[in-house]
Amino acid sequence: MTTAPTVTATAPGELLTLGLRACTAYGRADLTRRLTAAQRTLDDPSIHVVVAGEFKQGKSSLVNALVGATVCPVDDDVATATPTYVRHGEKHRAALIINDDPPRREDVPVDQVRRHITEHRDTGDEAGTAVGVEIRLPRKILERGMVLVDTPGVGGLGSTHAAASLAAISMADAVIFVTSAAQELTESEVRFLRRARAACDTVICLISKTDFYPAWRRIRDLNEAHLRRAGLALPVLTASSVLRMHAVKAGARDLNVESGFADVVGFVSGRVGGGAEQRLAEHVRDEVLAVCDQLVATFTAERTALLDPAAGQRIVAELGETKQRVEALKTSMARWQQTLSDGIADLTSDVDHDLRARMREVTREADDSIDESDPADTWPEMQTWLRARIAHELVANYELLRVRAGEIGESVGEHFRAASDGLLGAIGVHSPEPVLDRTTLDHKVDLEKMKLRKQAMVALKSAYGGTLMFTMLASMAGIVLGPIGLGIGLVMGRKGLREEKKREEKARQQQARNAMRRYCDEVTFVVGKDSRDTLRQIHRRLRDHYTGLAEELGRSNAAALAGAEEAARRSRTDREARVRDLDAELKRLATLQSRARPS
Amino acid sequence: MTANGARTAGLLDRTRVVLEEALFAYRGGPYESRLRTVRERLDAPLRVAIAGRVKAGKSTLLNALIGERLAPTDAGECTRIVTWYQDGHSYRVTLRPHEGAPRQARFTREDNALEIDLGGLSHEEVAELEVQWPSQTLRTATLVDTPGVGSLRAEISRRTWELLAPDDEDTPADAVIYLMRHAHRDDLNFLRAFHDRQVAAPNPVNAIGVLSRADEIGGGRLDTLASATRIAARMAGDINVRRLVQTVVPIAGLLAETAVTLTEAEVAHLRRVADLPVKTADDLLLSADRFRERLPELGLTSIERDALLDRFGLFGVRLGATLLRRKVAGTATELSEQLTERSGLRALQRTLDSLFFERREILKSRSALLAVDSVIRAAPGPATPRVAGLVEEIIASAHPFNELRVLASLRAGWVTGKPAVVAELERVIGGEGTAAHLRLQLPAEAGEAELMAAAAESLARWQRRAENPLTRYELSIAARVAIRSCEGVLAELHRGRS
Repeated sequence: MTTAPTVTATAPGELLTLGLRACTAYGRADLTRRLTAAQRTLDDPSIHVVVAGEFKQGKSSLVNALVGATVCPVDDDVATATPTYVRHGEKHRAALIINDDPPRREDVPVDQVRRHITEHRDTGDEAGTAVGVEIRLPRKILERGMVLVDTPGVGGLGSTHAAASLAAISMADAVIFVTSAAQELTESEVRFLRRARAACDTVICLISKTDFYPAWRRIRDLNEAHLRRAGLALPVLTASSVLRMHAVKAGARDLNVESGFADVVGFVSGRVGGGAEQRLAEHVRDEVLAVCDQLVATFTAERTALLDPAAGQRIVAELGETKQRVEALKTSMARWQQTLSDGIADLTSDVDHDLRARMREVTREADDSIDESDPADTWPEMQTWLRARIAHELVANYELLRVRAGEIGESVGEHFRAASDGLLGAIGVHSPEPVLDRTTLDHKVDLEKMKLRKQAMVALKSAYGGTLMFTMLASMAGIVLGPIGLGIGLVMGRKGLREEKKREEKARQQQARNAMRRYCDEVTFVVGKDSRDTLRQIHRRLRDHYTGLAEELGRSNAAALAGAEEAARRSRTDREARVRDLDAELKRLATLQSRARPS
Repeated sequence: MTANGARTAGLLDRTRVVLEEALFAYRGGPYESRLRTVRERLDAPLRVAIAGRVKAGKSTLLNALIGERLAPTDAGECTRIVTWYQDGHSYRVTLRPHEGAPRQARFTREDNALEIDLGGLSHEEVAELEVQWPSQTLRTATLVDTPGVGSLRAEISRRTWELLAPDDEDTPADAVIYLMRHAHRDDLNFLRAFHDRQVAAPNPVNAIGVLSRADEIGGGRLDTLASATRIAARMAGDINVRRLVQTVVPIAGLLAETAVTLTEAEVAHLRRVADLPVKTADDLLLSADRFRERLPELGLTSIERDALLDRFGLFGVRLGATLLRRKVAGTATELSEQLTERSGLRALQRTLDSLFFERREILKSRSALLAVDSVIRAAPGPATPRVAGLVEEIIASAHPFNELRVLASLRAGWVTGKPAVVAELERVIGGEGTAAHLRLQLPAEAGEAELMAAAAESLARWQRRAENPLTRYELSIAARVAIRSCEGVLAELHRGRS
């Protein structure tokens, strides 16, 4: 497996090493921290590839075939009930992800995995039970941070599982939608695909079990036509997990090609892995460049003051002013701080209002449908329907939270930049030669936007502890929709049959309405708290991030100020020597910058 | 069976009386023709619809049941028009357009399957097709092939909904075989809509579930069918499925269809695969593509290989070749017999016999009464209370209906008790079939004396349960129905003796 072609001249890891060395040399622990964080992301990138699809389409088999080992249990009857995260590890190990606050991991023997993945069928798990299983496996395909997520079958677009899968997809880096060659795509599959595509950029449709169905080529053509008609331009791959497993066992290369997995692996490690790697490399480059900018600005200020003592006075004055502005950035009166607090407060109330409005609508619909039917007949279906319906409303509510949190992250970032812009760049204006070429910034605006938004996304991801949306839905499933007493009299004989039936039906309807209302209230309460907590975490995270940046600026400014003041006190020879030193440092930094900048 | 018929013949007669009353009340009105159709149906064979999601294997199963490859089948979605298959003296296809009078359609039988010339009409313009075909199976039941629900071509799904779950009318089918591949959400919706709400809703009395395409469950391993049987049993025990269908049986439709229409030539072709060394054969049958392309020395042309795959599927080729190799079957007749049994077709036929065909009078009477009921409700008139009273009288008092109601209540979980007692109750009231030995859980060859003794014993047991003050109210009412059932069995046996 070769890496996707990189556009950088220098590998991101090497850049980081160089940047870190510079930070240490100049005694800037704050900048070191920043680059260390980037280093951590680079070391453990966690690229989530979600495998989704209807029941019994061979999702678990596909994951197994991809890693070439039976890690996800496959059964003729019993289906996967718990999402399984397959990631890289030194040894084959398994752990349960427990739905606690915060979520924690509990090691289990590998041979027990089957029980945990398939055991809780359709039961509302109480809090504290496993919401996911994590399997670690030494595999080359997983080495670079790939996490394969095997999900329960969606069981029609309206089901709770479908909602959970869609939520997982909204945080995924790529989605493999599995449909077997037994038949064409169905209506609900296409609807699911359409929503998946809206939530994630990289989606492929994989037709499985091509070994068993002679007509798979026709099915592929039909599916491609269906996708075209639906306006979904997705790549369609075909594969046979059975053949791939045979190929792995026998070490037969030609059989592997026959299985179609060469393409699947190519897609996963190339397009998905490669894409993610490129994004990471960009992130590292940006961080190194930002660090360089600050160091360069500091040195340039000192150098200017050294070369021209008259300008030195002005620079010291300006830096003093800058210091105040940086201080202002850190206080709660700063515009970005206000944007953040107001934005989060607004969003909290909007999300809450949205949730209540949605639940009111659900309650109304449920009332109507209870009025129309006899709960004795329909209660079990009603429960399923209610759960799934609510799950979908929750996902929509959460989408609102996600999108709006992204927007807040963006505008806070913009305000911060507006307030901080020129703080150190201003020094550059006075420098004899321009050290920073700012013309490249213009066409990077969109990218910047994405980066600003990213902070909020990172906060969201960490708020869910890596188990994505499943945790939230599991906490919903933990709420019990109480049984209603059926109280059915088996009435025989002709007299009063209808009247008696009517009377009992009325009593049952009332009971059902009460149970439903209680349930909805409870869900609103639990989920409302959940979103408030999430928003609080996002708030804290964004605040810490930008306060940290302000502090870096403060320290850079302080260093520049100290250098400029020092310059006035230096003797002539001392000054010349220092300028030479600074020139050398600046040259070194310029080299680093040119290596970090995409050629 | 004859005794059973005698017992329910009274029911059909009573139903006829109600229909006459209704016809008299609605004569000259817009509902007259509908009621007339209902009356005619009472004398026609039972109408069994084959329904399910798209690609569940409905047409294939229909062919297997008829024993001829009549309905066209294909890898893509194929059936687009609701088609009735009924017995007749001659071969004829009638086309009913949405607009205009029914007309006769020309048809050819190429490659066995019927090819019907729609006479310039598009699929959308044709409401129904009616195929008249002399056949033993169709003499017992008229079969209805339906397009599946859940199709991407919305029009196709809508048609099935219209046929089986019309918003304003009774359903034209008396019973339904519901093909499912899994307990899919669409399936449950569909079944719910199909079941009526009046007599005892939702009602598992006129539906059985078939776990179709059973050969595909385990990816084509040879023990796949055992696995399918286990899954079907599990599904049949599922509370949500139980309240919708009586039971679930597995079937490998393609295999069944091929088994009952097997040709000598096909067996000869299979034998070539069977004659290969095991290792070579396994390697060849690893995938459909391999079977199609590898091993030129096999001596089968690619057309012959495609035909084999088309007819048997990969699983069928594996199974057929294995049966031949292991000398389980030697001739085409033996192989056909083996495959029919193994495909689950025999078991399905037995289930249909005991749950549908032996009960056809009550099922027909039931759908007729429902039809009358819906007419009364749609157009209340001065005679309504009278007719409604008659309908309710039959529904509330006729013993077979009481049995069905108890069965439905058991399935819905309303009547509860010790599992063994509930299981016995279900059997006694005819939950597994109305024949005496099935009710008494005795082998089919049980003698009359043995049946008599068992029935008397069962009668005493249920009498005790009904009178026991500790028996729960619901169960004691159900026990009284069981007593009537036992008495019925005894009366039949006595009648048979005299």
